[in-house]
Amino acid sequence: MIEVNNLHKSFGKLKVLKGITEKVKESEVVCVIGPSGSGKSTFLRCLNLLETPTSGDIWIDGEKITDSKVDINKIREEVGMVFQRFNLFPHMTALKNIALAPIKVRGLSEKEAYDRARALLKKVGLEDKADVYPNSLSGGQQQRVAIARALAMRPKVMLFDEPTSALDPEMVGEVLNVMKDLAKEGMTMVVVTHEMGFAREVGNRVLFMDEGIIVEKGTPQEIFYNAQSERTKSFLSKIL
Amino acid sequence: MSLLDSYLHHAIAVFPSLLRGAVITVEVTTFAIFFGLILGTIAAFGKLSKRSVFKIPSSIYVDFIRGTPLFVQILIFYYGIPGLINGITGEVFRIDPIIAGIAVCSINSGAYNAEIVRAGIKSVDRGQMEAARSLGMTERQSMKEVIMPQAVRLIIPPLGNEFIALLKDSSLLAVISVHELSKNGMLYVSKTFAAFPAYISVALVYLALTMGISRVLNYIERRLGVSDRSE
Repeated sequence: MIEVNNLHKSFGKLKVLKGITEKVKESEVVCVIGPSGSGKSTFLRCLNLLETPTSGDIWIDGEKITDSKVDINKIREEVGMVFQRFNLFPHMTALKNIALAPIKVRGLSEKEAYDRARALLKKVGLEDKADVYPNSLSGGQQQRVAIARALAMRPKVMLFDEPTSALDPEMVGEVLNVMKDLAKEGMTMVVVTHEMGFAREVGNRVLFMDEGIIVEKGTPQEIFYNAQSERTKSFLSKIL
Repeated sequence: MSLLDSYLHHAIAVFPSLLRGAVITVEVTTFAIFFGLILGTIAAFGKLSKRSVFKIPSSIYVDFIRGTPLFVQILIFYYGIPGLINGITGEVFRIDPIIAGIAVCSINSGAYNAEIVRAGIKSVDRGQMEAARSLGMTERQSMKEVIMPQAVRLIIPPLGNEFIALLKDSSLLAVISVHELSKNGMLYVSKTFAAFPAYISVALVYLALTMGISRVLNYIERRLGVSDRSE
């Protein structure tokens, strides 16, 4: 589903990604862990071209998105993204937040889009919040709306950029539960996270990144209980 | 006749011509707000553009206008440019003072508006654009549906101040004999020498006009505030 070959990204002189090569299969849930500054968010943002790779190639669903002729917007329609800070549109109700892109991008009628949005709100357990503006929602609720908003485009892949890092602890669970359901339905997911519990329970594979490379990868079991690299071990010892 | 009686007499006598002047002032200001907004929005997007064909002319425009006095701009536009055209073509070229006044005020106001609009757009969180783009919306759609509606709320209050300043600054058009509010006051004084009551009356009419604009703007701000309950 996703194939990344020798991906490099630099910001000026700062090399953030130094050659990432990785494949994500359909319906796979891949969790990316690593210290801050390791490049894991940048890696994720390259997958929908929010960051333009300096070099290297990325294929999504067989399409080479790093090709200069490719229509970025078309790619992004198929790749949903959930942000750390939710980034809901504050001037729209929860329902409108979800319905906007299907109307504008997919060309759905308002009725179709709002029906779809209502169904998604129900799915994330917020059907009673349709007409509420984001600032009246808790962080956990906002993030669930943000997930519903991304799903409304019916993407093939979902990217999560530290989706629970900006949440109060008691709200982390509700967001993770929505993500677990999504994983069970067979969504292909790449999740940058510090939630080791989620990675262990839901992740098919875990990538440990540090200083712009994938230091170690394996099943959650392998990474969490039988890490080979010293860097992985020292990182895990600090957070577990 | 006491001094007070005489002043009251002049204040009443000057009033009809001040009203006529106020109509011109409002007319010039309204047109200048309209064209100034268009110019300002274009220049704001020019300055925000990554492409230097748009960015450089916009920056020069804004810097030149904001760095020179309106009074001098009026003189250049009304006397300087027709003089230049005359010098080149050998034909006498005249501009209607009101048209010239509207043009100069629009150009002047546009430069200030550009900075206000630019600042408003810039202060919308970057994550908003990223979220919109990540959903597959084009840059234009994201700007229209997501960024601008939020920016407008930030832009309106400073823009209101700009409109009020513009209305007051239009008094400088007296120098090219636009018969606006101040000019009509000056004409009355030149006939009667009743400077105090006439100019106080002029000031009060300006005050009434600016308070009127404030009212309208407050109403708009309240309307936007209700339908748009973001942080």
